[in-house]
Amino acid sequence: MSPRRGPHLSFPEVGSIEGPLLEVEDLHTSFRTGRGLVRAVDGVSFTLGRGRTLGVVGESGSGKTVLSRSIMGLLPGSNVERSGMVRFSGHDLTTMSLPELREVWGMQVALVFQDPMTALNPVVRVGRQITESLRLRVGLDRKAAGETAVALLRSVGIPEPERRLRAYPHELSGGMRQRVMIAIALACGPKLLLADEPTTGLDVTVQAQILDLLAAQQRERHMGMILITHDLGVVANRTDDIIVMYAGRIVEQAPTVELFAHTRMPYTEALLRSIPRLDESSHTRLRAIPGRPPDLAAQVQGCRFAPRCPYVQDRCRAEEPPLRTAGQGHQFRCWYPVGSAEGDAALAHNVAARVPAALAFTGTRVRDAAMATPNGARRT
Amino acid sequence: MAGSGTAHLRAENVLLRVEHLVVEFGSGHHRVRAVSDVSFDVAAGETLGLVGESGCGKSTTGRAVALIRNPDSGSVRFEGTELTALARAELRRARTKIQMVFQDPISSLNPRRGVLDAVIDPLSVWGIGTKEERRAKARATLESVGIDPDDAGGRRPIEMSGGQCQRVSIARALMLEPTVLVCDEPVSALDVSVQAQILNLLDDLKRDRGLTMVFIAHDLAVVKNVSDRVAVMYLGKLCEVGRPDDLYHHPEHPYTEALLTAIPEPDPGAARNGKAALSGDLPSPINPPSGCRFRTRCPFAQQKCADEEPQMRAMAPDHFVACHFPLSTNPVTTDATALPYRAPVSPPDWASEPGPPAWTVQAPDSPPESSRVAPPSQPPNPQPATPPRPPQPAPATPQPSSDRGGDRPPLWIDPQP
Repeated sequence: MSPRRGPHLSFPEVGSIEGPLLEVEDLHTSFRTGRGLVRAVDGVSFTLGRGRTLGVVGESGSGKTVLSRSIMGLLPGSNVERSGMVRFSGHDLTTMSLPELREVWGMQVALVFQDPMTALNPVVRVGRQITESLRLRVGLDRKAAGETAVALLRSVGIPEPERRLRAYPHELSGGMRQRVMIAIALACGPKLLLADEPTTGLDVTVQAQILDLLAAQQRERHMGMILITHDLGVVANRTDDIIVMYAGRIVEQAPTVELFAHTRMPYTEALLRSIPRLDESSHTRLRAIPGRPPDLAAQVQGCRFAPRCPYVQDRCRAEEPPLRTAGQGHQFRCWYPVGSAEGDAALAHNVAARVPAALAFTGTRVRDAAMATPNGARRT
Repeated sequence: MAGSGTAHLRAENVLLRVEHLVVEFGSGHHRVRAVSDVSFDVAAGETLGLVGESGCGKSTTGRAVALIRNPDSGSVRFEGTELTALARAELRRARTKIQMVFQDPISSLNPRRGVLDAVIDPLSVWGIGTKEERRAKARATLESVGIDPDDAGGRRPIEMSGGQCQRVSIARALMLEPTVLVCDEPVSALDVSVQAQILNLLDDLKRDRGLTMVFIAHDLAVVKNVSDRVAVMYLGKLCEVGRPDDLYHHPEHPYTEALLTAIPEPDPGAARNGKAALSGDLPSPINPPSGCRFRTRCPFAQQKCADEEPQMRAMAPDHFVACHFPLSTNPVTTDATALPYRAPVSPPDWASEPGPPAWTVQAPDSPPESSRVAPPSQPPNPQPATPPRPPQPAPATPQPSSDRGGDRPPLWIDPQP
């Protein structure tokens, strides 16, 4: 079988051109719903260098999955508005036609989905799901594709790959299925790998294996990688840069070490502090973030994190902070940043005024009812 | 690990005592012993954390404790009553004192019923109070878990977030004023920020209502936060039991240490000390390894581990381990020079491992009667799980423990330099 004829875009080989691998500029994605326009991604910009790893962190509903779909162009056909630019190796993906995008998907940019059980076809053997793109896109014959698939399965650490090719997805464990998903994504040698919560739902031991595998493959193939997760622990050791998203917006963006060492955004700090730590003794009260993310359909004035923020002041409710710069490549969106004099004063003021979010932040027990619905978030 | 024994059971002040619990599923060749001779106890007002990977039998244990699934053998004693011996009506009544909170908060609520109705239900089933009293109690309980009954009472589960649904499930479990709350992975489907809210809530409720809890989770950090005592489970057996501070600072079982190593630390500087992740998957409980069940993934496995099942023994006050070579006595680990978690153990291939027809499996070549074990209510001296094949030469140092792993690439990946 010959490769399917496509528009034959010319993508330069890795390393052969200057400039970043991926540039996203002012990307907006909104869904028209019965409740109004839901702004899932609201003005996101970043660049990703070749061979670099970017972590995207946020709670459910912060727009991180829609961000990955928007970059790929994998959005539903109707009731979606997307604007902004996604430039991959110098080509703008947002203006490409479907046949052109097919040249990109899998070959240039690949996606590892969160739930391997639903992402794999349950009635097709694993082998065919891996060789499908090798035969259609790369144009390998059946034998060569089969051999490549065996090599791929071996490289993602699946024992007895020849036998596993004949298996159906339900015959594999969760970790094995995720390895198969990664093998499928790597099949055509993409330059950019998007991993959307690749380890959510897996055990810690398997999670460590999968993350190590992704890191090893990324180094070996010199891919760019975007690792999307809600767990700051997952990205701490495995990324070069991190973007923290909240309600569709970037609220903090920094090189990984800088982000952890000099956290500026109260939301990032709150996320970090809500993780139970092994070095704390048991029954240490967790610093939960009260409430939940805002309804993206509602028009919000001021900072979107304000209703849950321990540092919140009147200015935050009135005026949304812009992305401010602090040092090399570090940007954040806050009027009263963590670690600054204004921030400390704001927090002290809120603790004195017994603002629930500030009390919860200091580890005081607060009545849940007082915090559970700070802005009546989802009432329709 | 994967050991048996009852050395860790306490004599006094025990509210709930589970001994030699066995739960099996399926039949014939596919009989799976999901929980295999597990014993533990929970003192009044205490939280027992039960940790392990998926498929290790921790949820089944939780369900057997609440008698949602009858154990195949073993005893569950609650406030001095043997629950497994009760008649159906008595059991129903006793079970009101042991309530469960399930993993998936949204699917554990009826999608077509309002929140308030769901919470009233337990009282209606038992015919407690008048309609108004039930309603008032449900509203008060909802409020105590942080749900505004006026705002949320009439909503359907789909209109609420996962964290709110989990609060409602907790409220429903509290309606009959139970003594014991069995929480089966109550936070694993939630974001970290909401997870912290629910963990704080459970801790508050425990203190306010004097609840005793069995908290089942796969996340060791979460378990440490809520527990007074932690039991680590592997493939249907307990490996290690102890107070969280001892168990986390001085893990004795190699599996506990492997679990601790795998936790991602939210700190970019936290090097992983050259420790590699545990390789491979959990072996199948249909045909578990002989002796210690962890030996196929254990970097320190010796011949003894294949021949003999380790028994629970005390390493320190209130710290018990089922391992032949606990870490504190292991010459490799106590050698101060290096941390040894580098042994490239090849993946256990349970499907093809010619392991012994251990315990439950009616292997085709063994007579069906003899492959069933003696009932676990007998003394904790187990059937010797001796392999029927000639013993393999013991690897003196950590080596691939799989019999056929020679030509296969190891599953583990080199840690980052």
